[in-house]
Amino acid sequence: MGWREAARLADVAYAEVALQATYAFRQGNPVPARDGRELAVRARHRIAQSKALIGVLLSILALGAAALLAAGPALQADLVPVPLAGGLFRTGVLSGLFGLELALLWWTGIQAIPTFVSSLAIAVLEPLPVDRPTLRQTAFLLFLRLFDVPVAVVLVLTPLGVGLALGPVAGLATVPGAFAVVGFALALALVTGRSFVRRVQGSRGGGGGTIVRWAYLIAWLLPAFGLLAFVTVSPPLFRGLATLPSAPFATAAVVVAAFPFCLASWPTLAAGGPSSLGLMPGLADVAVLAGGAFVALAGMATVWLFGATVTAGRVPGARPAPGPRGSQQLRPQWPAWAVLTKDLRLASRTPGYAFLILLPILDAVALGFTTYAAAPSAPLARGVALGAVSSGALLATFFGPAFFALEVVAQSYGRTLPLAPRAMAVGKVTLVAAIYLAAGGIVLGLAALRFGDVALFGAFVLAELPAVVAAGLLELGILFWWSRRRGLPVTTLYASSWNIALVALPGIAVALVPLATFLALGLVGMALAALAELGLIAPYALGRGAP
Amino acid sequence: MAAPEVAAPLSIAHLTVDYGERRAVTDLSLEVRAGEIYGLLGSNGAGKSSTIKSVVGLVQPSAGSIHVFGADAIGDGLTAKARLGYVPETALLYEALTPREFLEFVAGVRRLPPAVATERLRTYATAFGLESELEEPIATLSNGTRQKVLVLAAFLHAPRLLVLDEPLNSLDPRSVRLVKELLLRFARTAGKGILLSTHTMEIAEELCDRVGILDEGELRAEGTLAELRSRAAQGDATLEEVFLRLTHQDEGLREAIASFDGA
Repeated sequence: MGWREAARLADVAYAEVALQATYAFRQGNPVPARDGRELAVRARHRIAQSKALIGVLLSILALGAAALLAAGPALQADLVPVPLAGGLFRTGVLSGLFGLELALLWWTGIQAIPTFVSSLAIAVLEPLPVDRPTLRQTAFLLFLRLFDVPVAVVLVLTPLGVGLALGPVAGLATVPGAFAVVGFALALALVTGRSFVRRVQGSRGGGGGTIVRWAYLIAWLLPAFGLLAFVTVSPPLFRGLATLPSAPFATAAVVVAAFPFCLASWPTLAAGGPSSLGLMPGLADVAVLAGGAFVALAGMATVWLFGATVTAGRVPGARPAPGPRGSQQLRPQWPAWAVLTKDLRLASRTPGYAFLILLPILDAVALGFTTYAAAPSAPLARGVALGAVSSGALLATFFGPAFFALEVVAQSYGRTLPLAPRAMAVGKVTLVAAIYLAAGGIVLGLAALRFGDVALFGAFVLAELPAVVAAGLLELGILFWWSRRRGLPVTTLYASSWNIALVALPGIAVALVPLATFLALGLVGMALAALAELGLIAPYALGRGAP
Repeated sequence: MAAPEVAAPLSIAHLTVDYGERRAVTDLSLEVRAGEIYGLLGSNGAGKSSTIKSVVGLVQPSAGSIHVFGADAIGDGLTAKARLGYVPETALLYEALTPREFLEFVAGVRRLPPAVATERLRTYATAFGLESELEEPIATLSNGTRQKVLVLAAFLHAPRLLVLDEPLNSLDPRSVRLVKELLLRFARTAGKGILLSTHTMEIAEELCDRVGILDEGELRAEGTLAELRSRAAQGDATLEEVFLRLTHQDEGLREAIASFDGA
């Protein structure tokens, strides 16, 4: 058989992975009323779009770094607050680029791997007369196809950009670093992705398990904030680099030998020789040796990937052996609270759902830390803090209907229960409000530590709360009404981007009104506007006019 | 529409269900009486599941009425849903929940007191041997175990009407025996009723007091097995033979079987 047959099989299996990634039929999602071939083509297009998007992001990073390297001393003084040798500046920029590329590739991978595993694309091939080596090659090629565009961008555009900025020798010396980034990112993605499937999607119930699952989900999302984190921490990093020439040899050697710094120094060393880094003699050798070790390690990771992908691809999700007798205690809650609890439990094992809940909160953390890092007197920092609360409000509002749409995905059973739309709406809106309060609370805490102005931030968060609730109620009200009027399940209705806009835009407008009022009339005006909106919308959504 | 004077567990009148251009059920009327297991028989696509989904509120009928103990299931769906327990044909559940978490949600929505819910969970989980799987995510459970969870959810609130769509699919023999026993005891409890959809004739023959035969969305015949035999003019026939005769599916059957000889 061989690689050719493996490539053909991988192409067939890839169609299945794309279909599952887009429509998740194996998770019980209903099949859209369309021709099967059209669905397959559409699924491939969607996956191609996602990969292209990551590719564009990586291209922007690679070309941006190349532009920084090309500008060199002209921009260095503006960007770095302290005097820094040119070689160290270039190594710092390239280290940042490698770090960001690793984060983005890793993030892409840990999103794709649960689908890769649950699609059973490799498991389906096992009973066919395909020999073991071909099956292994198929799994490896299929795994690589999940990353083809992003990996190609890193391997080609990074050396090309550096080559254009610093010359062909430097460009060639970037290739080992780019290779190591890819090797480590894919291996990390597979390890964490498999672990995610086992520990999150397949974990048993109970309090301890819930904490572990949420910790995993937060870790799962963190690479997405790599860019923001880099922007936030880059000034202190460059300040640290500036102290490296005067640091003791042992301390400097640890930094120089670390990944990705050692490999990021190779283009500078290749183009300018050992002294171009501006560090103590001997440290260039440390960088070369450590870089070589990391390249060898990345090579081993790639070899490991070749064998490990087939194992990951044929495991049909996590299926643990029956554990000890679980609790047989049921603690039924009031219906709206039962909906909320169920949603949080679902989210703790469902990355897509958890993403909706955690995004506004992590957004607030990121912006909150930016605020914290800013100078206490900077008015801009106050603006960022208030903006963080506002974006938390808008994000939470935007996701409300999505929580409801997810409710109906694969859960037709839920519609046979005597659950009043009002209880459902209250449950969903409570979740939206809780997300907003968590996001607002984080910013509030950080801003309070920095500015000591708890009253302003606290009042701002609370004044916006009624508007967030009103926005959630309005969006759910529209969705209920529309679904009933057109006789379509909410999921079907919410699958169209146009319909999402028609439902979400009125909600976002409701959330925006008090924020705009704050700029014109201050906090009291903002609070009054938000309360007025809630007073107008709640009777419609929860009272006699309830849909 | 006014509720019937003596409220039967389930009363369906002139039900019509359309999916766009396609008509799945046409002018169907039937009644499940108190203390009765009513079997809905039909081939694939005969309209059984559409009828059942209309009763439990998953499908909006184009015409007709459905009453569950007098409560209008179309206009006042919440009251009707509170009175019935449902086991769907396909066990599509909240995959990311464990059975205990799922049942806790169901018990919450049905407003069950904790002690009652816990007591019922213990009884049924022990009977079905589910104790060690209550804390595993539903996504990791076998089809049979999922089906047991659905049966448990249907009985959790002690419903007055059970609506079951192929409830014994995927169950192991022991669980099949248990469910059959449960259904027989349930139906004999004063005032309760069961609507059971199946295309397995043996199950209908063993469990059902009366049977309705659906074909191409229409009720072709209804009655006890004896009444149906008499109608099909087949004195000692099995229900399968009666079914095939009444739905005219016996025509050409011998030829179809004979064609296997050359295969």
